[in-house]
Amino acid sequence: MASSCRRLGYAVLLAVWLCSAASADDKWLEVKFANDSPVLLVSFSLGPTTARPLGMSMALDLHASLVLRNTGHKPISGLTLRVEAQDLTPLGKGSVTMPSLNVEPGEVFPVRVDMELLRPFSVAKSEGALVQVSLDCALFNDLSAYGPDTLGSRRALMVYELEARRDRRYLAYLLQTQRLAQLREELNFGLPDFSPQQLGLELLREPRTISRREQPVTVGAVSFPSSPVQTMSGAARVAGNEVRGPQIDVRNTSQKIVRSIDMGWIVRDDRGRDFIAGSVPARMQLGPVQTGTMMEPGTLRFSHPTGQPMVIDALMAFVNDVEFADGKLWIPSRVDIDEATSDPMLRRALGSSPEQQRLAEIYRRKGISGLAEELRRLN
Amino acid sequence: MSVIDLRTAVHPRLETLALYATGDLPWRLRWRTGSHIKHCGDCDQQVLLFRSATAKLKREAETQTLTGFEAIADWTRLEREMLGNIAVGVAAARCIDNVGRTRSLFSRGAFAAALIALFIAGWATHIPREQTAHLTASLRNLLGLERPTVTGTIVQTTPDGIAVRAQGATLTMMHPRSAVVSFSGASAVEARYVDEETGQVTITNVYGQ
Repeated sequence: MASSCRRLGYAVLLAVWLCSAASADDKWLEVKFANDSPVLLVSFSLGPTTARPLGMSMALDLHASLVLRNTGHKPISGLTLRVEAQDLTPLGKGSVTMPSLNVEPGEVFPVRVDMELLRPFSVAKSEGALVQVSLDCALFNDLSAYGPDTLGSRRALMVYELEARRDRRYLAYLLQTQRLAQLREELNFGLPDFSPQQLGLELLREPRTISRREQPVTVGAVSFPSSPVQTMSGAARVAGNEVRGPQIDVRNTSQKIVRSIDMGWIVRDDRGRDFIAGSVPARMQLGPVQTGTMMEPGTLRFSHPTGQPMVIDALMAFVNDVEFADGKLWIPSRVDIDEATSDPMLRRALGSSPEQQRLAEIYRRKGISGLAEELRRLN
Repeated sequence: MSVIDLRTAVHPRLETLALYATGDLPWRLRWRTGSHIKHCGDCDQQVLLFRSATAKLKREAETQTLTGFEAIADWTRLEREMLGNIAVGVAAARCIDNVGRTRSLFSRGAFAAALIALFIAGWATHIPREQTAHLTASLRNLLGLERPTVTGTIVQTTPDGIAVRAQGATLTMMHPRSAVVSFSGASAVEARYVDEETGQVTITNVYGQ
């Protein structure tokens, strides 16, 4: 009886909420591009979008399919769409990035936006659509960019593009020299379910009090020989599955001024398995031979995909990429990755780029001939 | 004297007459026997004999009792002994009660301690330390001993996507199970996967402030 009443209450709330949304003549999702944008919306459709009550909140499942056209004069290498929900602005937002696009002028390409928005019934709905999608950055194949870049997308897209070019050259080299066994290994032998080990993450920004469980650990280094910035020493506090306040000293070993460094982090669990936890780009002006300290004030909490906490046994850092003051970027070469570690799994994870993932999918679907054709087209 | 049934106007039995003499018959039988005795001299005589014998026995019994009591001259001493015996009995009963209660309490306590020990051992061997710490922290938060650790924006992975929670609302960017997640900034998490329909690599991000 109580359950029926509750369901009825939710249904009434849902109906009232939907009516209010409809009467306001608003849309669930709005796509906006500036007039001078190099991409424009060709078509937009909401797929199986549903709204349902979830506790005292409204869960809105949005599955939007966008078809965009490159209306500029240059091929687009990648782009990032910013996804903003009015209920979270300005504290939270999302994005959808499409690297390795290679869209010629005039061509169209699809972008999917699959998201769920959970908003309390008590929150008043303001003017406009619940979710706005807009262009944050578009990167062209000459590495120039367009867009407000409020999310730091230009740097990420440039890194993806440089990695893509590196990996295409490497795979084309393997193909030309008939090193097919090595090529197959690089492309996961065409296995669909092969993917790096997964983990659950939680980022907590609020500073936490030091607990007695915390253990100070030394941060190890995975060094790339040609890196213009070398890691020196580092430390962090580890408490079970949490890493707090990791920091690492770095030195600029190049002759150029460094503007920012993207520091990658590897965590080792209590079974000795290494996971690439991610990377954090940070602005850091470093002159030649100058040293500095990169630190992360927040707390990183790790868990296995099942939700079970992952006990952290060790922490390592590596320089993922470096941006110089002249705007150029350094990324590790294939030789750097090969020489960085003797662990094949870690080496594979370090060398895994979005483009390699895409080419592995082509190899899985079309075989060597399809891969060769794709490499020929892009190189 | 022959035994005669009263219903047939015969004499009552001797036992009946003896009980009548002492007034122990039920009222109905007493009335019928009394009616018979009024008209029967033999039975009346027999009842008188029973009554005199009873009176004699009572007198002798009283005489013997008085003789016994007369032998106890020190009543005060007798009273003290009796009170002392009663006190000893009561104390012994209390001792026995306490012994039983203590044993019962001890056995119940031991059983509870064994259960607690089993629970602690099971918890220690089966529940990860992090979950224990998490539970402890939650209890401390609940009791007000420790302030809540997180009140601002939370960026996290979920089984279906990556989510940012702020101001009571949650935005989740959905992804397939095959997606690889990692953090991509000080307050950002990304998920990378290949779109099965287009074969295109897609990277979703959520950002907190």
